[in-house]
Amino acid sequence: MSNSTQWVSALKGIIGETNVIQDPDQLKAYAVDGLAPKAVVNPGSVEEISKLLTYAHSEKRTVVPRGNGTKMATGGIPGKIDVVLSMLRIHRITEHDIPNLSLSVEAGITLAEVQKMLAGTGKGSFLPLDPPYSDRATIGGIIAANSSGPRRYLYGSARDLLLGLKAVYPNGDIVAFGGKAVKNVSGYDMTKLMIGSWGSLGVITEITTKLLPLPEASATLLTSFEDLAKAGSMTRKILHSVLLPSAMELMDGKAASQLGESARYLVAFSLEGVREAVDRQVAEIGDIAKKEGAVDTKVLWGEEDRIFWRRVRDFAIASEASVILRSNFVISKQAEILGNYEKIAQAAGIGCAWIGHVGNGILTSYILENGAAKMGPVVDLIGKFTAEAAKHGGNLIVESCPRDLKEKVRVWGQPRSDDVVMRRLKERVDPVGVLNPGRFVGGI
Amino acid sequence: MSHGDRFEICPRSWGVAISEAITVFRDGLAYGLSDSRFALDAGRLEITKGFKMEKDKIISEMVRLVGKENVLSSDMHLKLYEYDASLIRSKPDCIVCPTSTEQVSKVVKFAQDHKIPVIARGAGTNLSGGSVTVQGGIAIVLTRMNQILDMDIENLRVVVQPGVITLDLKNVLAKHGYLYQPDPASEKVTTIGGNFGENSGGPHCLKYGVTSNHVLGVELVLYDGQVVEVGGKALDNPGYDLMGVLGGSEGTLGIVTRAVLRIMPKAEAVKTMLCIFNSIEEGGNTVTAIIGEGIIPATLEMMDNLTIKAVEEAYHVGFPTDAAAILIIELDGLKDGMERLTERILAICKQHNVREIRVAKDQAERDKIWAGRKGAFGAVGRLRPNYLVNDGTVPRTRLPETLAKVVEIGKKYKLPIANVFHAGDGNLHPLILFDERDKDELERVHAAAMEIMKLCVDMGGTISGEHGIGVEKIKGMSFIFSARDIAAMKKVKAAFDPENLFNPGKVLPETEKAA
Repeated sequence: MSNSTQWVSALKGIIGETNVIQDPDQLKAYAVDGLAPKAVVNPGSVEEISKLLTYAHSEKRTVVPRGNGTKMATGGIPGKIDVVLSMLRIHRITEHDIPNLSLSVEAGITLAEVQKMLAGTGKGSFLPLDPPYSDRATIGGIIAANSSGPRRYLYGSARDLLLGLKAVYPNGDIVAFGGKAVKNVSGYDMTKLMIGSWGSLGVITEITTKLLPLPEASATLLTSFEDLAKAGSMTRKILHSVLLPSAMELMDGKAASQLGESARYLVAFSLEGVREAVDRQVAEIGDIAKKEGAVDTKVLWGEEDRIFWRRVRDFAIASEASVILRSNFVISKQAEILGNYEKIAQAAGIGCAWIGHVGNGILTSYILENGAAKMGPVVDLIGKFTAEAAKHGGNLIVESCPRDLKEKVRVWGQPRSDDVVMRRLKERVDPVGVLNPGRFVGGI
Repeated sequence: MSHGDRFEICPRSWGVAISEAITVFRDGLAYGLSDSRFALDAGRLEITKGFKMEKDKIISEMVRLVGKENVLSSDMHLKLYEYDASLIRSKPDCIVCPTSTEQVSKVVKFAQDHKIPVIARGAGTNLSGGSVTVQGGIAIVLTRMNQILDMDIENLRVVVQPGVITLDLKNVLAKHGYLYQPDPASEKVTTIGGNFGENSGGPHCLKYGVTSNHVLGVELVLYDGQVVEVGGKALDNPGYDLMGVLGGSEGTLGIVTRAVLRIMPKAEAVKTMLCIFNSIEEGGNTVTAIIGEGIIPATLEMMDNLTIKAVEEAYHVGFPTDAAAILIIELDGLKDGMERLTERILAICKQHNVREIRVAKDQAERDKIWAGRKGAFGAVGRLRPNYLVNDGTVPRTRLPETLAKVVEIGKKYKLPIANVFHAGDGNLHPLILFDERDKDELERVHAAAMEIMKLCVDMGGTISGEHGIGVEKIKGMSFIFSARDIAAMKKVKAAFDPENLFNPGKVLPETEKAA
């Protein structure tokens, strides 16, 4: 105990007394899989983070970086958590180069705040990322989790957008990778390595990203189908056409109904760009859908268009799903896999809703509240879903689930042959195991 | 083309680029084959070998592992593989041309057991010395692994061996109406493996991103000969983005023996414009203004007067030889609204005093414009015995200012500099022309190159946008990275290659240990 008091007072020396939380009641809110940290720190500068990690490294303490905590349920069960490192005070916009269409921001700012600033500055621009938890997710959390949304179909994901980033390595080294040049092969592309590393290789403190001009026009086209095979056939037609929707999402009836739409299957398109192209695509995709057997089509403009996509992004919150699974696979198999998932869930009597990025081969399964009680069947269902995705070149990640379920499943999916390299990488970068130990792929 | 006869002597599988490497090859024929020549700064390096095995023993072991037919070891071959498209030269001890992943794995395992460096190599068009065996060892030439393994159109993927030539693949895809977007100027000869190793760019990268945005998976031979799959046809595989760090790692982390590429349907409409300016500054400002207006074309390519003249003389594509600069603007995508966008772009050009605008009427006219751009390095290469090409990148808004300073640097060192650049990306390619036999001139070239790198960094940019660090720019790494940044990268290197045998001496400079 005295040992613990000693190192917590060392933290206070580094971060300042008022920025260290030690009250057990408050600490509970920062628990990961039920395990509360011994302290939460709120540093106000990158130098403080560096000192903190230098100290943790030398004292063999574990540190869990955190933004607004929207994704803390992802990952393996941690062995021990000494310190939760809150990034919320590291939240400045460090450079907005309007004519160059680039932006540097610190990790603790929310994406929503960034988008608001961008839309209102000059001619208006945006950071083309639309991950879940649209109000609360911080830039650092989004990048560390490689979080993405429907519009990645046209705009890509963080790896296609980021130009550089700054981080603090597990030994306390402050490092900078990439830069603000849009093309850069100087040294290893460490930026990409840090994206999606879930805080296990370094603490991301700042990113530099490309921006895009706000589109001139936008609209949503909703097409509903009775027959999944027909919906699948339509999406494949669009995939191989010259048309360029910015999002193409396929969802089942439960998901559609949660979004206020009634359809057995719903395919939603986001169309953005020059006005002529938006108008034409609304008309042409609508025609293709009808030819392919759509029973209904509907167009949303303006505020309705924006609200719809916000609700798609934040489906996890509204659905109150107890378990969220994310499958990836080759892009042509979306409808087929959704069909098989429906059969598997139905046979197990587990209520699910599905939304998928059809153009990217990603399908998210939301196991609704009543399903969680059935531990055995859910474990079995996850196994079957994983096998189905693996059959088509993919895998399955358990994005969120209760701790007792975590103990029985592989949250990062089936092992892959390159796991060996990932383990070596973690051992070289973080030999002491300071950052997020035990929570990433293969327990690294 | 007047070069044709030269290439009869040296089939492309031997590793020489047609367009971008032409001067080196000319140089190779004229003087490069003489062993007596030595110029440290020009890149003939003193080899410090870290291994004990005799060359003859290495060769006989390679013959045993991959067969006589896949080993090249004559003096002529060793000389042919001592260079790439940079000025760096250094001979390998042995060359192997494996035909399978298993052979690559065996060679790597052998090299590891005996501490012999290995370098994977494609067509040898590298512009920074990345393909040169600066510490001796085994050159693994992958051009015999040149099969397209899987045309998975349904999933918008193709799977290829590393030795597939970029343009060959694109031609096959075009027949099906699909595209692989990266388009390095040397695509006629470069290989997919080389493009991935260097993370090559090209004109269309402004809109579509560079090679690493389009290579989604690889089969990789690790340092101990183990073969692993990284990434794949599906996106977002769990774990670290190893693909991200492998792209552009210049063969220092492993050897790619198969790659999964993203393809896309051909765009509905393309519009190509050639804009002619009387002032290079006006051209540069036009680029900034177009992007500032919220228009992101597929390409924004520029070249200066010296380049225009050289291109015109070599290819007769109709570029006006008295223009100060030309800007090639290409739009692609849906036809709807493209006319209006074109009008907006033309208006911006006019605001910046464009002298003339030619809009390509058909594919033939478009091809002609692009032939001029893609042949630019080759054309400039005809002007003097050698050139050194810089590859710095600056924020595009700083382009006019940077160009003016490049001109000053040319004057200061009394060197002609031709400029070709991916203006939309802010990626400059100043080509410094010289004769490497003139030692004084050579020294000035290296000083000027260093100064241009520094200039790009001072402008908020970086030292290499797409050609790689290799050996040539390794001294410039300290302009942008601290010892700690380099130490962080070295940890990645150590995780993949603990004995430092994959392409040693490249990319990462020696640094003092970070405190």
